[in-house]
Amino acid sequence: MKEVELDCLGEACPIPLVKAENKIKELEIGDVLIVQIDHSCAMKNLPEWARKEGHNVEIEEIDDGEWEIIIEKVK
Amino acid sequence: MDIKKNKYYKLWIKDAWPYITGAVLLSLFQIITLATTGNPWGVSGILANWGAWLYETAGGSVDKWYYFSSEGARRTLENGFMNHGGSLRNLGIIIGALAATLLSSGFKFKKIKSWKQIIAATLGGLLMGYGARIGFGCNIGALFSGIASLSLSGWVYALFLFLGAIIGSKLLVKYFM
Amino acid sequence: MDEQKSTGIQRSSTRTRRTRKKKKNQLPFGVAVVLLAVVFGILLGYKNPGMPIFWITGLTFGYILQRSRFCFTASMRDPFLTGSTSLTRTVLTAFAITTIGFTAIKYGAYVKGLPMPGQSYIAPVSLATAAGAFMFGVGMVIAGGCASGTLMRVGEGFSMQIISLFFFIVGSLWGAHDFGWWKLNVILKGKAIFLPDIFGWIGAVIIQLIIIALLWIAADKWENRKNLA
Repeated sequence: MKEVELDCLGEACPIPLVKAENKIKELEIGDVLIVQIDHSCAMKNLPEWARKEGHNVEIEEIDDGEWEIIIEKVK
Repeated sequence: MDIKKNKYYKLWIKDAWPYITGAVLLSLFQIITLATTGNPWGVSGILANWGAWLYETAGGSVDKWYYFSSEGARRTLENGFMNHGGSLRNLGIIIGALAATLLSSGFKFKKIKSWKQIIAATLGGLLMGYGARIGFGCNIGALFSGIASLSLSGWVYALFLFLGAIIGSKLLVKYFM
Repeated sequence: MDEQKSTGIQRSSTRTRRTRKKKKNQLPFGVAVVLLAVVFGILLGYKNPGMPIFWITGLTFGYILQRSRFCFTASMRDPFLTGSTSLTRTVLTAFAITTIGFTAIKYGAYVKGLPMPGQSYIAPVSLATAAGAFMFGVGMVIAGGCASGTLMRVGEGFSMQIISLFFFIVGSLWGAHDFGWWKLNVILKGKAIFLPDIFGWIGAVIIQLIIIALLWIAADKWENRKNLA
């Protein structure tokens, strides 16, 4: 069980999503990926994608216009 | 009372709306735009006027350009920004989005992160600008308004926009991230 | 939407939640922007009564685009890039609604013998349409936003989109400069086609709605096919 952070601050769509997709492939089941974003669209399409893939997702607003998408790989 | 915990503040102002809400409301205002102004919504044609104004401010002249040769086009240029509905609408989009982010306490100035972003923005902007002029519009004027106006051009535009987006995705993944 | 719902992820103990900066409340600034926008709209109306409607619809479009994260770029890009078609389907839904609304307005003018509004948006179909749309498609994906999306992101505070807006304007000017050539050599070979002229009013609307519905189904199948794989 490890936690990996992915810094996508300042990146516009679809880069956060593609990066997260690539990163999660490298992780083991049970690992947690934390994607840091400040792009309001990614705050919607990242969780949508991760939920569709069947992972657990949490969104945390950490600052004005900054979010962390916490994805637990479950399969 | 703390407005931030208010149910309706969260529902309408703070949280993201479902996409479908956006689709229905954009459609409604697209129809309102046609009904009230006599023309559908357009974005990019207006930017050509902005370009002409900037160019003239810098000392250039577009008098001899075919694109601006019609009487209507020339009058629009002479009347200036504050009398050009489309320009005000474009400015409104920027201000409306700014208000939306501030009202939800989500505004953040996002700095440039890398040279790649500058190159991508420059190339992308130029391609969009030039493409929109020769293709009679952008995703709004040529695609959204074109299809809604029952114009064949809207569908042709959609097909090639889709093909362009595929190539763009490949370039983006390969060079810009 | 249940975006804020907690799914109870067990965060590993190695990393406790950081102490967050105290968030600033931007709401008052938002209210100030809205008030200034209203004042500006009123002043515009005194100067030129035709202008406030443009200003109001612009503000509304900006607000709706930002709040719903509606994105034309993603609707065209994501089916290929990520296999997601949720935005593609919502864009198609918007096409269907506006088709009906626009046709009602145009038909209303037509039966009264009045000129139909917005017919200048029926553009000629030529190689320039294909080339322009293709260029636009490439551009919007690498710039991370289409025309409306770029304006919206400028409002959201993206400096990258300020650059792409500037070069969008430069590109528009460049395109306008070359427009005479395109018109003479390419566009004049094309023809503007208003679908009701071919299929009749009812026929055109029905055919278009069927095409939209078929694309909607195809998008849905595409999303689920990718899911199973």
